[in-house]
Formats: sequence, structure tokens, C-alpha cells
Amino acid sequence: MFEPQAMTKVIVAGSKDYMGLAIDALHKHNVMHITDFVKEDDDFRIGKPYASASKLSERAISLRSIASYLSITGKEDTPSRYAEDAIADEIDEKTERLSFEVTQVTRNISDIDSRIKDINDKKRLLDPLKNFDLPLDLYGGYRSLAVFVGTAKWSPTISDITKDYELEIAPYMRGYAIAIFVPREFQDDVLKRLQEQGYSALSLPEMQGTPKDILADLDVQLIELQTEKETSREELSTLRERYIDYILASDEYLSIATQKAEAPLRFATTKNAFIIEGWIPTKNLEHVQRDVDSVTDGHVMVAIDESEAINAEKVPIALENPMPSEPFELLVKAFALPKYNEIDPTMFVALIYPFLFALMLGDIGYGAVIIGIGLVVQRRLKSKGIRDLARILVYAGVLSIVFGFIYNEFFGVALFGTGGLIPSFYAYPTIPRFENIATLLVVTLVIGILMLTLGYVLGFVNEYRQHGLKHAVLTKASWLLMLWGGVLVVIEILPPLTKAAAISISPALLAGFGLVVIGLVFLLGGEGIVGITELPTLLSNVLSYSRLLSIGVSSLGIALAVNRLSYALFIDKGGVWIIFGVLLLIIGHAVNTALGILDSGLQSLRLHYVEFFTKFYRGGGMKYKPFGLIRKYTEEQ
Amino acid sequence: MVDPTAAGLIAIAAALAVGLTGIGAALGEQMIGSAAVGAMAEDEGFFGRGLVMTVIPESIVIFGLVVALILLFVTLPTI
Repeated sequence: MFEPQAMTKVIVAGSKDYMGLAIDALHKHNVMHITDFVKEDDDFRIGKPYASASKLSERAISLRSIASYLSITGKEDTPSRYAEDAIADEIDEKTERLSFEVTQVTRNISDIDSRIKDINDKKRLLDPLKNFDLPLDLYGGYRSLAVFVGTAKWSPTISDITKDYELEIAPYMRGYAIAIFVPREFQDDVLKRLQEQGYSALSLPEMQGTPKDILADLDVQLIELQTEKETSREELSTLRERYIDYILASDEYLSIATQKAEAPLRFATTKNAFIIEGWIPTKNLEHVQRDVDSVTDGHVMVAIDESEAINAEKVPIALENPMPSEPFELLVKAFALPKYNEIDPTMFVALIYPFLFALMLGDIGYGAVIIGIGLVVQRRLKSKGIRDLARILVYAGVLSIVFGFIYNEFFGVALFGTGGLIPSFYAYPTIPRFENIATLLVVTLVIGILMLTLGYVLGFVNEYRQHGLKHAVLTKASWLLMLWGGVLVVIEILPPLTKAAAISISPALLAGFGLVVIGLVFLLGGEGIVGITELPTLLSNVLSYSRLLSIGVSSLGIALAVNRLSYALFIDKGGVWIIFGVLLLIIGHAVNTALGILDSGLQSLRLHYVEFFTKFYRGGGMKYKPFGLIRKYTEEQ
Repeated sequence: MVDPTAAGLIAIAAALAVGLTGIGAALGEQMIGSAAVGAMAEDEGFFGRGLVMTVIPESIVIFGLVVALILLFVTLPTI
């Protein structure tokens, strides 16, 4: 719970004849973190993958291309599971058939697409001519006539070049569609005139009939093609529906088979034997040992490797926390995985994070809203990370309601007591925030001092386990002494200072100074002069906890502003204005809820990462990746 | 009743405490934040440490806010 899962270093060794069986067994258990074998020498070589590997990956590629045509992402849920053996028997034949069916439909679709594009091109070319009644084949092929067909900004003047011409013109877009027939000898002059008017020529397709008729005909064709395409699309979605289970299951089957076939690449092998090095969680060890032994008839052995002392840097890390605190692993992982001999802070984060969050938000209304958001997100979304965040939000929401009762806040309004929404019910003493700023400020600083103390204590434990007692005292106990010495000094000095009274030298003050001096001496011994330069952080770390108050009060301030504005501007006027007032209330509080989640969430996280973790937590552990796969779509017999 | 001039000066002081520290923190976080995002693009595991680095200058606003709150809500004894 306070440490990563205990791991045992193991060596799996045996005759190559039994390697396949051993791989199957290890894969099924899904617990062994294999350390890749990399240093080849004369005796040990890296293993060769099974011959089936390349064929398996080929199949996987064709299956995935089918899946992508059918827009199957691999995240779908299926009601039933396929038996692995059933897939193995028919996968070749079935995938080929499926591939054939799917390619036929997709090819058909792309064929239709290219025809649609072709028709659209033709339409674009003929569109300018739709008002000319001349059949298309008369726009060219004359011996003595030159024809210009195209668009221009304005009609050119030609009458001074020749009177012998024919001009068709119709408005088109922002200019004109033009067709000019002139004797060939005037061709160049006319072209020049045309170019002055921004002429651009159309290269007409070879077709029969007037442009108008052709266009109408093309439109009919287009509609037909689109219906055809729709039919093919439907075919595709029928295929998807019919085969999605099979595709997901066989994709999983192929992944597993490929993993197994390529596994020997991570082993050390000799001519006749193989060796796998790795880690197995200690609690699973016995079970795996027994199973591998029985499956391979005693020809493969899972032995505990005690040949060298455990190097904490090289142990894979799996966190292990009781269910309720599990989502907080996300916050710890986002910072860093712990090392093997380090404390896993998840439990502390689970206890403190929602508390700090709620201390800042502290409002019955907002608390209820974020519980609602958390529950909805948990139900609707599937991503593990987001669901974890939603669960954290629910915890924080519950505590926010508790603090809401303490602060007596409901969407920024007092709930109980005189001036509250329910004035008759007032059975307990509340602590309204605006009226208790000074007290709450002290409370937040005390929380800071306690959390730093916890941090240094945990740091002491870590250092003690990693480097021994002396180091722990010098680097962690020293800080603890200075922190508490400083606290004593401040308690003794501050009140007289604010009252401008004389400071009396009390035993507590002397004790405080004493602690600081002892701590300083230890620190000099542990970290040297560099440690001294870090001293001011002690003060700024404690003061940093004052954000617990200021963030909360800002959020309360916004809520108050929203309430007062909507009341003074709208609700007070009555009538239709009430609608606007309620609207403003809803929008304002929605924005403030979003700010509240973001701000309280991030600030609480920051108090963990910056002020708390830095006292004891380094992290940098390697992630535990067991050899195996969690089956979703298939099952073993 | 507090002297209106004094009340006004206190309000201005509170505003300056929050506003100026806000600008300062923003300038600091801008530089650190862009560098942290850059580092995260290379290695997503940097998120936690990146966040820590980015929010370090933010303390200064919080201090400003606390000073403002004390100015506005806590009556200090006159020295």
C-alpha cells in the first residue's frame, strides 16, 4: 500500500523443445516483466522468432486494412467472446473472403467517386454555355472560321476589325460567357481584344446536343451515381455489422499470436536451451512456478535469481493501492513513478488532495454540481484516465459539501442563520469565510506546516532506507528541526511585533532558536553551503499554503458578484427581467464552477507536487509491463 | 467609520498588490510554460515536472492576493 508491489527477480530456463509451452503459460498469466536480453556473446545468442511470426504480421496487416475500411477502431464493445481455437481454424480462409468482399465494395465506391468527379468536371465546363442554344459539336471543326469560347469580364469590341462575325453572349458569374465566330484571318486580332477583357478559354468536352440538354442529362446521371454510392455504403455498413465481432476477435488473436511468436527475440538462447530473465510480482510467483512446471512436465524451471543484490533502479514498478485510493495513482504517475525502495505516496495524496480541493471550493451548491459532473463523466466516458479524474472529482465534491456546511455557503449565499436562505434552521456554529480571513489564514499555514512535516518525515524514511540513518538525519531531520524551530520563533515574536510591544525572551523562543541552530549544523554537514541557499524555501513553502484561503475567497467573491449583479440588474425589476436574471445566474455560476474545478484542482495538485513531493519523492522508476495481454474479445478453452 | 481617503488608499494598495504580482507571475510563467510544453512534446513523462516548474512563479500572485485580503479584511492594530 505504501510501497510499490514486491517483485522477485526470476530466471526461466529450460530446453528449447519446451519453449513454446513455457511462452504460452507465461503469456496466459500476464505477470512476468521480461528483461530483454541484449548482450550477445559466444555462448548466448538472442533467440530467433518463430517462423510463423512474419506470416502472422502479414495477416494482421490485411485484417487491419479491412478494419479501417469498415471504420472499426478496436475500442468497440462486443456482447460475446470468440473461442480462440475457432478463430485459429478459419482465420486464413475467412479473412481472405472478407477481404475480397470488402475490396469489391470499396473499389466500387472509389469507381463511383471518380465518375462523379468526371461528371462534375464536365458540368463545370458546360455551365457557362447553358444559355446558348447552339449544339456543342458546332463550337469547332471549321476550316475557315475561328471560334473562341470562354468567359470574360466584358464583351470585346470587334466591329472595327471586321463586320463579318457572330457573337453569342450571356451574363455569367461576375462577367460574361462568350462565343465568337470570326474568319480565320482576324483570329489574332480578335484574340488580342478578348485578352484585354480578361478572356479565359474553355476546353469543351466532345459531346452531342445543346449544353442545356447535356447538363440536364448529367444531373440525372449524377443522382443515379449518388444512389448507387449510397447502396454501396449501406453494403459496407452491413458488412461491418456482420463481421465486427469476428474482426475484433481475430485482431486480438493475431496480436497474441504475434507476441508469442516474437517473444524469443527477448530471450537468451544456446543451441539447445533458452533463458528468460525478468521480474514477477512476489504474490504471483508460486502460482506461475507451479503452472509452468506442470505444463512443461518439469522441463522448464522458474527459479528465483539471487545471484546479485537487487538494484532498485532496475526493478519494474507496479503500484498497488486499495480500490478507493486507486484513481489517485494517476496523479502520482503524472509526476513520476516511485523507485522500488521509495514510498508510494498514493495513499497520502488520496487523503490530502480532496481535502485541500474542498477547503478551497467549500460550497454546498458547487460541491453537488461537481459530484453530478463526476458521476456523469464516469458513466459516459470510457477512457481510464478520464474516469479516474471523474472519481477524484466525486470525492472532492463530497468534501466540498462538508466544507460548504462549515463555511455556510450555497452558491455564494449564506444558507442558514439570519440573512440566509433557511433562516429558521441554525443549529451549529458556522465559519463564514469573509468574516474569518485572519483565522483561516492561520489555519492554512498550520496545514502547510503539518504537510511539510509529513513530507520531511517520509523523506527521512526514504533516506534511511536508501542511505542509512546518518544521511537521513543530516538531510531530512535537519530541515524538520529548522521548520519547527522557526515555527516556535515566529509564534513568540509575531504577536509582540504587530502590537509594537517589546519581545520578551521566553524559554520557547530560546528553544526555537536552539532547534534552528542544531538543524543548521546538521544541514551544513549533510548538504553543505548549497543547503543554506535553500533555506528561504522553507518560509515560501509554508506561505504558499495561504493559497488555500485566497483561491477559495476569490471563488466566493465571483459567486457573490454574480448573485448581486443578477439581483440588482434584473430580478429586482420583476416581470420579464427575472428570466434574464436567472439566465445570468446560471451562466455566471457555470463559469465559476468551471473555474472552481480548474483552479482548486490545479492548486491542490501544485501543493502536492511542489511543496509536498519535493521533500521526499524523487521517482524515476521503470514501468511494469507484464508479458501478456488482457483479452477483450477472445477466450481460451 | 474609516476615513474615506484611507479606505480609498487601502483599496488602491490592494489592487496594486494583486495586479502587479499578477503581471510578474504571468511574465515568468510565459517563459517557463513555453519551454515546458516544448519539453513535453519530446517526452510526455515530463508533464508532472513541467507543471511544477511552470507554477513556481505563481506563488507571488498568491502572496499578492493574501496581502490584498489582509489589507481589505483584517484590521491591523495601529502602530
